[in-house]
Amino acid sequence: MIDTIDPIPPGNIWLVDPEKRLPIPLYSSTVQAGFPNPAETHIETRLNLQDLCVQHPDATYFVRAAGESMIDDDIFPGSILVVDSAIPIRTGSIVVAWVNGDCCVKRFVRVGKMITLFPSNPAFTPIYVHIGVDQFDTLGVVIHVVSKPKKWNQDQLNTAVEHVRTRRRKQHVREL
Amino acid sequence: MFALVDVNSMYVSCERSFNPRLKGVPVVALGNNDHCVIARSDEAKKLGIKMGAARFQIQDLIDQHNVQLCSSNFALYGDMSARFQSLMYNFVEDVEPYSIDEVFLKVDGSYDTLYPSYQGLGESIRNTVMQWLRLPVCIGFAPTKTLAKVANRIAKKNPELEGICVLTNQAEVDTALEQFEIEDLWGVGYRYAKWLKNNGITNARQLRNAEIEWIRKKMTVQGVRLVYELRGYPARLLEDNPLPKRTISVAPSFGKLIPDLTNITDALTTHLARCCEKLRKQNSIARHLTIYLHTNRNRKTPGRPDLASKQYSASRTVKLPFHSNNLIDFLPYGISALQSIYQFGYPYQKVGIILNDIVPEDNRQAGVFADAPTPEQLELGHVIDGLNRRFGRDAVYVASQRKDREWEMVQGHLSQRYTTNWNELLVAY
Repeated sequence: MIDTIDPIPPGNIWLVDPEKRLPIPLYSSTVQAGFPNPAETHIETRLNLQDLCVQHPDATYFVRAAGESMIDDDIFPGSILVVDSAIPIRTGSIVVAWVNGDCCVKRFVRVGKMITLFPSNPAFTPIYVHIGVDQFDTLGVVIHVVSKPKKWNQDQLNTAVEHVRTRRRKQHVREL
Repeated sequence: MFALVDVNSMYVSCERSFNPRLKGVPVVALGNNDHCVIARSDEAKKLGIKMGAARFQIQDLIDQHNVQLCSSNFALYGDMSARFQSLMYNFVEDVEPYSIDEVFLKVDGSYDTLYPSYQGLGESIRNTVMQWLRLPVCIGFAPTKTLAKVANRIAKKNPELEGICVLTNQAEVDTALEQFEIEDLWGVGYRYAKWLKNNGITNARQLRNAEIEWIRKKMTVQGVRLVYELRGYPARLLEDNPLPKRTISVAPSFGKLIPDLTNITDALTTHLARCCEKLRKQNSIARHLTIYLHTNRNRKTPGRPDLASKQYSASRTVKLPFHSNNLIDFLPYGISALQSIYQFGYPYQKVGIILNDIVPEDNRQAGVFADAPTPEQLELGHVIDGLNRRFGRDAVYVASQRKDREWEMVQGHLSQRYTTNWNELLVAY
């Protein structure tokens, strides 16, 4: 039994859980003293590729390119095409379209009622779309192409290494 | 004014959106292990293929008319639905997503400057959805949501309206309601339709003219609201913040009949993980867990087509000592419940889960005697969800789950997930 002069009301007694301890900062708000960080007003959000490539998120689709028909327009097999369906298609746009159910990426050219799809690789022939005969549907306009840089093959690597070696040898000879 | 925008045969239209070969030919979407029809194109409807028809019933039609089959690709439909709903904000500010293929819009006079008529707004919405998503829609404009539903149905049934129906003047509304069958009305179920018909009310116009007090007695306040809505006074408003669900249920059938407890337990674990994911998505926690198990009710004894095979079904509800949304908390209770109802010797078709007593996550009460999950444990679930969103479903799973699943759904005609998976993009040549 412990006698106390001022008994502590039971409501004021509770078990302290050391696990629940919260570190409280010394100052909850900073006090401006001295010079403010001059860069603070210039901090912006980090750049995001989505903002660059996508204007209409609801109408944008990603499509994978295959084949080499558009290689002169920097569309390689495996490139990801960013296709926007909200942009109106004009003559000269690169489009993703279906001709009789086959999906292709080509340059769109309309003269009068004739629609022609041009490849950019001269080894391929244009596709002539016969309205009323062929089933023609468009997905949209290609607004960006995402590709990985080309890899050098062994020959290209060897040539480069050889180039550096010969250059060094010439330099060495000159110094002598 | 309200508008209801609705995608025509949503699932089939989504498939056509990425595969024009399916245009103009009969197409059906199959659900439930490719067993039954869950969506039909107009061409398939004309062939007489019924909603919910089993595949074996329509096999002859499929062969005769070369009907194209699609397994349900919910990843694609869900994403297209989200695009569809989000696109509506380009036209109006108040949008209520009502189902996967329907949205209600609140169309006010302030849009008059941009679009001189409702017809014009409707055409603009229709053309934009067609160009952006390649989905055909029907739009009904009317002073109330119920009438907008009616207008939408009229737009759908009458191809000469080109997908848009505006019900503004009273005479138009009168004729529309006159021709509208009572059982097609939004909010009138089978039983009420029967009762109304017995009392001489067969079309929507008669219901509109019915006496309010008489309706209140039988059809409660919901019926009164319906009558007011038909009279052109909005009684159902736009709900842009849907209430969290009060029950969550997951019960897909197995791909084939499964007799053994090991596989059923594995399926249960996966379904339970889905349930917990759904709970966390709406920031809720649950306490009541119901597990049920049953055999295929339509199955006949092998070799005796006249005799139904032996059937078994059972269920068990468990009340957890605390609320949670963590799989690790539910799993032991789920497995013991399953073990207690499992009977050896039956080929099972389905194990299902229902979660009840759902409350918001911040209503959580710490248990006194039970070890309720700590905030960190609840947070863990959200972290797992984040990982699974980023690295694909089932990137993180419980170690007791199997990788090779015997019970999994059959989807033999699945299209690519064009919009949600980098490995399944559309390929252009």
